[in-house]
Amino acid sequence: MPFKSWRDSGFCRRQRYIDLPSLYTATLDSTTTEDDTLGFALHNTGNDHHLQVELTGLQHNCARLKINERQPVKPRYEIPVGDVLVQHPQKNKLNTLNRDESSVTITMNDVQAVIHAHPFQIEFTYQDTNVINMNARGLLNFECLQGKTHSGKVKHKTTHSSMYEPLRKKPRTTGNQQSQDVDTDDTELGEFAESFGSFTDTNPNGPSSVGVDVDFPGFTHVYGIPEHAESLCLKSTRNKEPYRLFNLDVYGYETHSPQSLYGSVPLMIAHSEEQTVGMFWHNASDTWIDIDIQESDKKQKAQTNTHWFSESGVIDIFLLFGPTPEDVFSQYGLLTGTTPLPPLFALGYHQSRWNYKDEDDVRKVDSGFDTHGIPYDVLWLDIEHTDKKKYFTWDKINFPNARKMIEDLSAKGRKMVTIVDPHIKQDEDYTIYKEASQRNYFVKNKDSIPYEGKCWPGLSHWLDFTNPEVRQYWSSKCGIDQYKESTEDLYIWNDMNEPSVFEGPETTLYKDCIHHKGWEHRDLHNTYGMYQHMATNQGLLARSGGKKRPFVLSRSFFAGSQRWGAVWTGDNVATWEHLQITVPMLLTLNITGMTFSGADIGGFAKNPTPELLTRWYQTAAFQPFFRGHSSHKTERREPWLQPEENIKITRDAICMRYSWLPYWYTLFYHGEVKGGPLIKPLWVAFPRDKVTFDADDCFMLGSAVLVHPVMEEGVSEISVLLPGKEEVWYDVDDHKLYVGAETYAIPVTLSKIPIFQRGGYIIPRRDRARSSTAHSWADPYTLIVCVNKQIFAKGDLYVDDFQTLNYKNGEYCHREFIFENATLTNRNCDTSGVYEPKAGVKEVIIVGSSLKPTSAIIHWQNQAQVEET
Amino acid sequence: MAAMKRHVLYIVRLKRYLSSYLGTILILVSLIGSSVRAEVGRPRGVAISKSSFYKPGDTFTCLDNSAVLPYSQVNDDYCDCKDGTDEPGTSACPNGFFHCTNAGHKPMYIPSSRVGDSICDCCDGTDEYSGEVICDNTCKELGRAAKEERERKKQLLGEGYEIRKQYCEQGKTAKEEKRSRLEQLQYDKVQSETIRNDMEALKNQAEIPEKEAKDKHQQAWEAEKASRQANREIDQITSAFKELDKNGDQFMSKEELQLHPEMDIDNNTVVSDTEAKEHLEDNDQVDFDTFKDKVWPNIKDIYRSPEPVAEEPPEGSTVEPEESPPVDPEMEADNDRDLEEEDDDDEASPTPPTLPADVMGNDEDEDEYSDGDEDDMEDDRKDERGEEGSPPAQEEEKMPDYDEETKKLIEDAALSRANFDEADKRFRDTEKELNDINSFLNMDLGPDEVFYPLKDQCYEFTDREYIYKLCPFDQASQRPKSGGTETNLGRWGHWAGPENNKYENMKFEKGLNCWNGPDRSVLVTLHCGTNNEIVSVAEPNRCEYTFNFNTPAVCIDTTPEEPHDEHDEL
Repeated sequence: MPFKSWRDSGFCRRQRYIDLPSLYTATLDSTTTEDDTLGFALHNTGNDHHLQVELTGLQHNCARLKINERQPVKPRYEIPVGDVLVQHPQKNKLNTLNRDESSVTITMNDVQAVIHAHPFQIEFTYQDTNVINMNARGLLNFECLQGKTHSGKVKHKTTHSSMYEPLRKKPRTTGNQQSQDVDTDDTELGEFAESFGSFTDTNPNGPSSVGVDVDFPGFTHVYGIPEHAESLCLKSTRNKEPYRLFNLDVYGYETHSPQSLYGSVPLMIAHSEEQTVGMFWHNASDTWIDIDIQESDKKQKAQTNTHWFSESGVIDIFLLFGPTPEDVFSQYGLLTGTTPLPPLFALGYHQSRWNYKDEDDVRKVDSGFDTHGIPYDVLWLDIEHTDKKKYFTWDKINFPNARKMIEDLSAKGRKMVTIVDPHIKQDEDYTIYKEASQRNYFVKNKDSIPYEGKCWPGLSHWLDFTNPEVRQYWSSKCGIDQYKESTEDLYIWNDMNEPSVFEGPETTLYKDCIHHKGWEHRDLHNTYGMYQHMATNQGLLARSGGKKRPFVLSRSFFAGSQRWGAVWTGDNVATWEHLQITVPMLLTLNITGMTFSGADIGGFAKNPTPELLTRWYQTAAFQPFFRGHSSHKTERREPWLQPEENIKITRDAICMRYSWLPYWYTLFYHGEVKGGPLIKPLWVAFPRDKVTFDADDCFMLGSAVLVHPVMEEGVSEISVLLPGKEEVWYDVDDHKLYVGAETYAIPVTLSKIPIFQRGGYIIPRRDRARSSTAHSWADPYTLIVCVNKQIFAKGDLYVDDFQTLNYKNGEYCHREFIFENATLTNRNCDTSGVYEPKAGVKEVIIVGSSLKPTSAIIHWQNQAQVEET
Repeated sequence: MAAMKRHVLYIVRLKRYLSSYLGTILILVSLIGSSVRAEVGRPRGVAISKSSFYKPGDTFTCLDNSAVLPYSQVNDDYCDCKDGTDEPGTSACPNGFFHCTNAGHKPMYIPSSRVGDSICDCCDGTDEYSGEVICDNTCKELGRAAKEERERKKQLLGEGYEIRKQYCEQGKTAKEEKRSRLEQLQYDKVQSETIRNDMEALKNQAEIPEKEAKDKHQQAWEAEKASRQANREIDQITSAFKELDKNGDQFMSKEELQLHPEMDIDNNTVVSDTEAKEHLEDNDQVDFDTFKDKVWPNIKDIYRSPEPVAEEPPEGSTVEPEESPPVDPEMEADNDRDLEEEDDDDEASPTPPTLPADVMGNDEDEDEYSDGDEDDMEDDRKDERGEEGSPPAQEEEKMPDYDEETKKLIEDAALSRANFDEADKRFRDTEKELNDINSFLNMDLGPDEVFYPLKDQCYEFTDREYIYKLCPFDQASQRPKSGGTETNLGRWGHWAGPENNKYENMKFEKGLNCWNGPDRSVLVTLHCGTNNEIVSVAEPNRCEYTFNFNTPAVCIDTTPEEPHDEHDEL
């Protein structure tokens, strides 16, 4: 196994096997209170270490709890504000209700916190319901730096022994249950140098991990903490591997595993019929999470216990008290930002492959779409387009006229994307290598010389994107003047940015590598890819003088990456299991802010059967990022290389995506404004309906549509849950009516996947099948009005120029439609929008009303005009 | 909610844009205003051949007769007809078509979705009438270029066609030649088979007396050899007895035997009483006769004379090669691994290796032989090698020549054998040629055998890294430019063109297997050209190659004449 199990990780063993009551005591008489922050000291009676706690009230029902060493011998890593957090969160006033030696009670709006001194723990209540407990099980364990660097063998430090000695006997995950006994002798604690396979981490600063338990009383469902190829609803890890967050390049990953993948978002959401809360663990180092779910029974209340531990940094937790799912999403959006509205082309279909070999190949694939009447917007080039894997260069033999090639695509309203990875080929003839060497821009190894490793080009170095100056430099390389042959219609894709290092430990950088300001790679590993994504995004923005919206796809990500572009789920496989897992994976990404996300259609590795490929297109047409991509070892699979029937169905699926783009675009707009998912788990739309809590074979697209893809081979019928007692649903294909809160057996053929529009909603569509999004700008809209039991429906449509940032200056148009009392009205729902769209509504389809329209009366500028029906 | 039991669907058709909602009335007007540009007499997007269906009047009937509409709904940018025919000039119908007249070039239909999409699809620009983009009329230039291209193709086709005719001639001639040769060969085959059978009978006849005479001679020699061997053995026993009987009392005693250290059975360096007695069959001493009959068989393999015993051929040298199983050299090469394993077994077991050293031919084995008396063994083996190829026995062991009578019989038989071999060879050669011709005649060389000149030819093409070689009807291969071994990309499989033009593609298949992938294969597409040449090579899928190959053999006009849509060209 090239990747670590928790047993291979020293700090993980040390943190996971604590079995002591808390040794920490809060000295509450030391409490300092500012308007918004409560500060106090913690004392570890076991090793005499002193910690400082800060509890800060934040606006919108949030709180922040920070724990650091009181007097660290050297600073511990904290992610700079502005990188993951958009800004310093807005604080909220705290009121102290009660204070004595043993406890302090404070309130901030609807949230109350009781801090107990001994043993130290904090209970949080929301409107008098206890929803979160911190350190209730005494697992707080903060390894203080020893101020001395060690490079030799593992040493057992007496200062730590008192803490560890009793802890090794009984393994303990979370909760009271104990897993099997494991002997962990001193050498296994991995405090200093640690080996894994043939790799050694010198860990010169010694133990620096942090961990604490966070419990959610009253909750049995927790979600989030991507990226794992796992079910939507997080599982108990008792006696199993914890969920891990450590960005890694895992080719052809297994489904249903807590193994860490390409990106990390340490946001967990707990949900019950009564309330939704969240916690965000603001730490960029190797992190593991144990989960223990206790269902309620006679003895105990339902509760979910979690235990978080990271290899370095500080404890910095944001608590989001909801109370609704949407509240949690917008609370999280305020912290780390939301997904900016992408240019419309990015929502169309993307055709990629490793690799389109030369300009002729590109031309043929491009015209193949036109020949077969299949729309698409973007053609992608993988690593082989470069000169010897030197990014920002072209293979002059296969791509001698790259600019012309891009311009030819532009002339058809299409775009191109090229790959640009973070590793830099060691080659004196390569400008970026030379410049970056001279300017000392590479990540260093433990001996402070540029780290040298292998990746696609052979021997390479890795740019230190954590350095703002390096990001600035990188951004400049994206400029039209710098990136030869590029035009404003060439966009960028950042791959291998976990970073992936061939033959490196766990296929990544050594943790003792050194970054900007001397921080270890260990401290910030999970943010490396995000920083490259950020720099590329800013480069594309600068290239157009800040006018055009960038589009950058990244494989690695961290909390906050949503601000820089799209992500995808990496090197998946052409199997039905991998198609199925796209739904929970993308739903999890969506509820944790990474809304613009997708999976390679058909599976990157191996060859899909025509049926699997067709089903995958049908599913992906309703997922945010819509790209077909495949490995060079697979057979070509452009849509028209399938059997005739499959071509037709694939064309229909892609055309459907295009006709629904007005709805998608409006969802993206709301996503930028308010945060929250584009595709939603059913429980988000029906938070009080417990039958929806585990569903992850279907999803909501916005609030108006339920999609239940067919993800099994050869089925002729699938079982579909349509939630909501008061709801009615309409099959979008035949407008057949279904009442809610029932499970239906829906017959399916290869051309059919069950999709339902929810009664009470209006969806805008553009039904003219154009060859790309660029050609539909003047096409009229069709409104699909599906009424609910009250013969009521509403919806909206957001429109702008689809490509520039002018919408930020009011150049947009946001209209709302309401169908009520047999009258459809539409109104400008945002008067600060001043954009005049180039097209209007031409057709209204009203579904479910028993009232036959006799005439349409159009009110315009206070004048009524009667139209025939 | 009784009303909800039946779902009802209504489509409200808005004749104009719901302009209060999006856009302004001005845009609406400008859109309508721009529609004036259509040709006079028929609506925009209608071919002149269809204009009779679009006569201005009160109503319009969809071309599929599915509906009758007010004429004002033609090209009103709203789709009313199921077949899309009410909107020939807009993008409103998903299944409609727009007709471009393209005066000066070819008229054509484009899908409605290409109308008004800001891309100039028609060379006359009529599909982009909104004024949002200005389309230059490029029909004249395109028409000219197309004409030139047509002429170039026509000329190429003409030149190629001439060569093609020659190919057909060559092919037909070759087939005819082969056919007539086939007749000759069929006759020859019968003839040569008869001769062969006759010769075989003669040969068999001559071999009977030969065999009898030879057998007789051989038997006599065997008897002689046996008696010589017996005498030699007696000599050997006698000299051994003499040597062992140290005191010359005509008895060999236990003590005398104990003087010979090689008689030690348990390898403790001492020849004990028990050991000696075991050799002596429990006697304390034996006389010569008992020694010869009872004791010698016990000790002959271990007994060693203090002085070299006269010219005794080593035991192994005559016996072992005969006993050794034949070794197939190919098998040896293929099964290196197996052989190694056998070696291991040998090391483990005390029995000596059964393969002669020169076949095994490795030093380790030699070492194994030498744990006994090293020098002797070494010498023995040197002798063996020195005599390799020559008869093992000494001069006296050679069989005497046949007598004259036998020699004559052998000579006769040899002659009839030679005659038979010659007749047999002639028969086989005829048969082979016959098979070759049959397979040639069965080969699909295309219509009129036009591909015959390509057979037995090879063509090469060099790209950045590789030199590709195509030998039609044989195989395709690839080798690195920098040198190195050739990779088989596939052997001739079959014609693989589409049903209406099967000779357009050649398929070569079952080439070298790709690691973790399919067998390599090549699909060759043939194009008309005046020379036979590979013009491009690609590998669109891993290990699936495509070649484009020019050849006069396909220079035949399979496409119908220019489309007769000329009357639309005004």
